[in-house]
This record gives sequence, structure tokens and C-alpha cells, in this order.
Amino acid sequence: MIADRIIEQGTLTAQDGHAAVEVRIPWYRALPGSCIAGAALSIDGTQAPANTLRWTMNGRTFSFDELVQETDEWWFPLDSAILSGQVPVGQDGTEHEVQVELKIYIPYIITDHGVLHIEESDTKTMKVAQR
Amino acid sequence: MSALGTPIQGVTLYSFTRASHARHYDLEGLIRKVAAEGFGPGLELIGFSSLRGFPNRIDDIFAGRFRELLQEVDLVPTSLAVNVDTGLRRDRLMRHDETVEYMRAQIEVAARLGFPIARVQISLTPDAMESLLPVAEKYGVTLALEVHADQHGAHERVLALRDRYEQLDSPLLGFTADWGATVTGFAPSLLEAYRRRGASEELLGAVVDLWDGFYAEGPPNTQAVHGERFGAFIGLAGRHGRPDLGIDFAINGTGLFGPAPIETWQEIMPWVRHVHGKFFGIDETGEEPSVPVRGLVAQLVESGYNGAISSEYEGWHWNNWQDPFDIVRGEQALQRVAAADAGSCMITDPTQARELLHSHLAQPARG
Repeated sequence: MIADRIIEQGTLTAQDGHAAVEVRIPWYRALPGSCIAGAALSIDGTQAPANTLRWTMNGRTFSFDELVQETDEWWFPLDSAILSGQVPVGQDGTEHEVQVELKIYIPYIITDHGVLHIEESDTKTMKVAQR
Repeated sequence: MSALGTPIQGVTLYSFTRASHARHYDLEGLIRKVAAEGFGPGLELIGFSSLRGFPNRIDDIFAGRFRELLQEVDLVPTSLAVNVDTGLRRDRLMRHDETVEYMRAQIEVAARLGFPIARVQISLTPDAMESLLPVAEKYGVTLALEVHADQHGAHERVLALRDRYEQLDSPLLGFTADWGATVTGFAPSLLEAYRRRGASEELLGAVVDLWDGFYAEGPPNTQAVHGERFGAFIGLAGRHGRPDLGIDFAINGTGLFGPAPIETWQEIMPWVRHVHGKFFGIDETGEEPSVPVRGLVAQLVESGYNGAISSEYEGWHWNNWQDPFDIVRGEQALQRVAAADAGSCMITDPTQARELLHSHLAQPARG
């Protein structure tokens, strides 16, 4: 588990009331969209509503409902995905606390309670990146 | 008694997951580093970790470059670790026919990249292995099902597979023995990691006592016993006011540190085609404090084993304060000493390794 690397330092962007941050997989191997079961994004303690969250990988953007069916696009361990959601970020040049929670399924470990899933979170402080 | 074995030294790139995830090495850079360090000649990697687009988007240009690179640095491909992702979909588990096709695509890539073995996993039933035998024959790849904690060589699921192998009588069906099934203690480096996360000495002592009790009782022979032990770690963490550590204790305490005696490997030894030299750390005296590396190497030598041992360092999950390359170097030195003490040696010469591996396995992979 490599939870401390979920959020990529310095990748916070903000536009039109939405925030986005690059995230890394906290696991050693690629997983398809169907195994990326959920996420949460908070900026300075304010959480983006779940229905506004979007996941971008391999140049394609998905809602989390769409990811459930997605078994063709895979999140490779060296690639960053982009998690975005509707949450305000002050453009005042100050540091912001970014928190990301991730829930992923481990598709080859089947327990008595179903497919194993793990939940990891990461918090980092950064300014909005200049583009 | 068979002639003494000469296991082939090797490594899996999984040992360096933290360095590769940090983008310190790309695949080619990591392979060159492994060769330069002398961690081969055997090389294993995990398809879904190391190969972008695995398995359906691996083209012939990549496959050709990969083979040329291994030839240039004189490493010997041993096993491609493939995954049995039966839980890929959210609505249901994969059907039998879907599983066979899912595995076929990965086994084909193993053959194209020059790996004579595909490591498969315990979700495959005896029926699934029987269905995959024609695939193994088509591609000339040995399927070596990994026996990993919480299973072990004498576990009911493993014995059922062994019995089917015996009926089918094909040299292409076998096992990968993972030393994590036969561990003798809770890894000290993981205790240190919990200490760094604020776990009290009292709690850590209780974790060790719980694990030692399971070790004394013997390994779980059924899934039910495994489930009880998993729950016991979660309960312990809760009672000590650290429920946040419960799942971690349970996953590691049952899934990484299997408490079976090393004699359990004898149940399946004739079918062991590949070995994961799983370990968690090397101490200041050069020993592995929780995996009986010396005894395990001696057992392979005495059993006449001439396949590869992939050193598989798994302490990277929690150990972010030591260099994995130093740790693997230390473990391979220990393996060489153990083989010498058993009256044999580890094979480190690539030419010798190629010849031995080809005779150890039924036939070379067809590319």
C-alpha cells in the first residue's frame, strides 16, 4: 500500500467553481475503472458533492456511475488520474488543504464477504498551480 | 534419494514496487539495474504492474524490444505473474468461460515475451486448471499456481489441485511455492512501521502473542479457520483502542505471514515448478528474522529442485526507510550461503540457468 502518494503535490487546479487534482494508485498493479469504486475530494474541509465528481484517465472522463461498467480502460500504476468535483477554491495564492479518499476493489482476492476492497486517504497542502 | 538440486537465483520486479511507483526507474531502467546488480539471472515480473496495456495492447514491437533487452543484459525470463481477476465486475464474479479467456490472453503474452512459466492464482479451481491445460499446451507455457498464505502446501484447496494434476498427468500444470506460507514470526519491520504510526508496545506485544498462538496451533486448513483468525486480529485492535489498524493487522497477519511448517511443501514438491522467495527484511546479522530462508533453500536442494527462486521482497508495503536493493542483495547472499551449507550452490550463470530451466520445465515457451 502506498497511500502517502495518492495526491500529486502541486497539481491542484481550479476553474468555474470546480477543483481538480492529480492522483496516483495506492496499489502495485493496474486496475480497470470497474474496480475504482468511489472517491471523495475535499478542499479546506469542504467536500465536493458526490454527484459532481469526475474521474479522468487515459484521456477519457467518467462519472463514478459510468466507471462501474468500465472494464476496458485501466489505471496503470505509473499514470496519474485526475479527480475533479464542484468545490470552491480561493484564488488568493494561499495554501489549501487537499484531501482525497479512494475506495478500490482488489479483483483477485475473493473473501467470504465478497471481493476485497480497500479504502485509503491522503491529505496534502498546496497552492493552486499556475497554468 | 534424488541428486541435490541447484536452484537458479533470480528476482521479481515486485520487490522494487516502491522505487518503480515513484518513477525512479522505468521498466527498461529497472531491468538494467537488476542485471547490473547481479540479482539475476532469473527475472520475473507482474504483467499488470510492469506492462502498460497488459494483456490486450502488447504489440509485437514491444515484445521484440523486450526480448532483445533481456538478451542484451543476459537475464533469463522465468515467470510472468498473471492475475485471476474473477472479481473484475461489480455485478457478479466472472463465469468459467470468461475466466478461461481472461487467462488465455495473459498466457499468450507470457509466451510472446519469452516467459516459460505463467504464475496463476488460487481462485482457479481444479476444473478451471483442467480447462486451461489446452491453453498451456497451445502456447507451451507452464501454469504454476501460486500457493500463498493463507493457503499452504497441505491446505484442502491445494491438495484438491494436486490430486487433479496427478490425474491429468501433464508436466505443464504445477505450483509456485511462496515462502510467505511458511513464516516463523510476525515481521519485525512491520512492527516498527506500526510503532511509527503510534501503536503502543502493549498492543504490538499482543499482536505478536496472537500470531505466535496461531503458529503454535498450526496453519488454517480451511477457509473457516482463516476467517476466524482474520476476525481475531480486528477484535484485538478494537480492544486496544486502535480499530483503524485492525484490517491491516488481519490482512498482514493472515495473508502475508502464513504459519505453516516448511514440511508442508513436501505434499506438493514434485509439482513445484517455480518458487517465490518471499521475505520481509534482513537484519543486522544478515538473517531474515521471520522467514526460515536457510531451511527453505536446504529443502529445495535436498528435493533436487532445479527451477528458479525469485527473491520477492514484500516489506516495501510498510518499509519506507530502507533501500530495497540493499535488502534484496542481503537476502540473495543468505540464499547462496544456505545452498552451500546444504552441499550445493545457487546458479548465477545465465547460460547454465537457461539450460537448467529448460530441463526443469517440460518444454520451452514458443514465441
